[in-house]
Amino acid sequence: MTEHLLAETFVELADTLVDDFDVLDFLHQVTVRCAQVLGVAAAGVLLTDQRGALRVVAASTEQTRMLELLQIQTDEGPCPECFHTGRPIAVPDVSAVADRWPRFAAEARAVGFAAVHALPMRLRADMIGTLNLFDTEPGALGADTIRLGQALADVATIGLLQARAIRHRETLAEQLQTALNSRVVIEQAKGVIAERRGLDMDQAFTLLRDTARSRNLGLSDLARSVVDGVTVL
Amino acid sequence: MTGGRAARIRVRIARQAGAEVVSVAHVCAAAVAGVGVDGAGMTVGRSTVHATDPVAAALEEWQLVYGEGPCVDAWATGGPVLVVDLGATAARWPVFTPAALDSGARAVFALPLQVGAIRLGVLDLYRAGPGPLSPGQLADALAYADAAGTLLLDGARAGAPDPTAHDAQVHQATGMVLAQLGVSAEVAFARLRAHAYAQDRLLRDVARDVVGRRLRFEPEPSPEDQNER
Repeated sequence: MTEHLLAETFVELADTLVDDFDVLDFLHQVTVRCAQVLGVAAAGVLLTDQRGALRVVAASTEQTRMLELLQIQTDEGPCPECFHTGRPIAVPDVSAVADRWPRFAAEARAVGFAAVHALPMRLRADMIGTLNLFDTEPGALGADTIRLGQALADVATIGLLQARAIRHRETLAEQLQTALNSRVVIEQAKGVIAERRGLDMDQAFTLLRDTARSRNLGLSDLARSVVDGVTVL
Repeated sequence: MTGGRAARIRVRIARQAGAEVVSVAHVCAAAVAGVGVDGAGMTVGRSTVHATDPVAAALEEWQLVYGEGPCVDAWATGGPVLVVDLGATAARWPVFTPAALDSGARAVFALPLQVGAIRLGVLDLYRAGPGPLSPGQLADALAYADAAGTLLLDGARAGAPDPTAHDAQVHQATGMVLAQLGVSAEVAFARLRAHAYAQDRLLRDVARDVVGRRLRFEPEPSPEDQNER
């Protein structure tokens, strides 16, 4: 990891936070930067649905198998454990947890991941989700990398909840649920674009995100406009 | 555990319905008792479909008439709007707030019934006194909203919620079916659900076939087409 990349990342994320920004675009950016800065293969964010389960909200790659691997953790894996204990969970070798989390371990290996870390996303007393880091080689991340990862998880939390406004649990609940619903809109829009253009889901997401950037629109707003048939991509 | 909460709430709604076919009225009544609020109302599209009492009916009515209020905001953002004390929201909804206070409501919890871009309606819960929902009450309120949404989507056919309904591929498949049929997201989602139901398959499995391009949906022939034959 270079200091330059790190500095650039925090400047970029801070810049985003100052403007009126799209939460889903921001979280996607955090996951992409996490992978680069922490030197891991992929990163994903899961948030609590406030009914007792976690749901996928962003990932550094939108490939279907990656989303499925994250999705499995609605039921089992390091993320629910991290969420319930509030502590970082390190799985330096996925094959060692095959008995404990059989579906998770099998899917992680199938996608090509050997090591997984889950870091808590917390606002004061409230756990709101987890940041998941995946690597292709077995081994635990170093203490410095974990610290940096936690800093990025904290930035993600603050950005997601637009923390200046979060004085009450009510606002937290409103923002979390809105973000989760926006994620669903993005999945729907990916489907519309994939069908019309003959693209896979990852390509459809890239087209959606690039179009949002070039037209200076929020990712969620553009996605909604695509699903509602107002915008044709 | 999320499945446990959803199942418990389904039982409460079924008990509320008794021998009748489950309706929006039963969901509202069960939510009032289950969450611990004083009343509930539901708006679908631009009309109130149910209110458990006159206060709840007034809350729905004013938001429709004035075009502002927690329910209006929940519809627009897709997230809940949780107002613990209407006494402090006059600046946010200057016309709605005094009317709501006059009618006897002090806390309002508006829960959108949405699946991504599919907007079904809003479930409003109110209390005569100020105060927040506890985390457990909020979880229950969201689960009642889930049940209401499922009822609106599937009608009388609504049975046990499909545990795979939140999978990313289900929403992707909805988008693909929308484009295949040239219909709204709501109709596309309904077709997907109806297909899964008719074939007795999980939504996730049907969705996987759509996303994997092994299953395409064809437009249903219009009545004119059928008459020509």
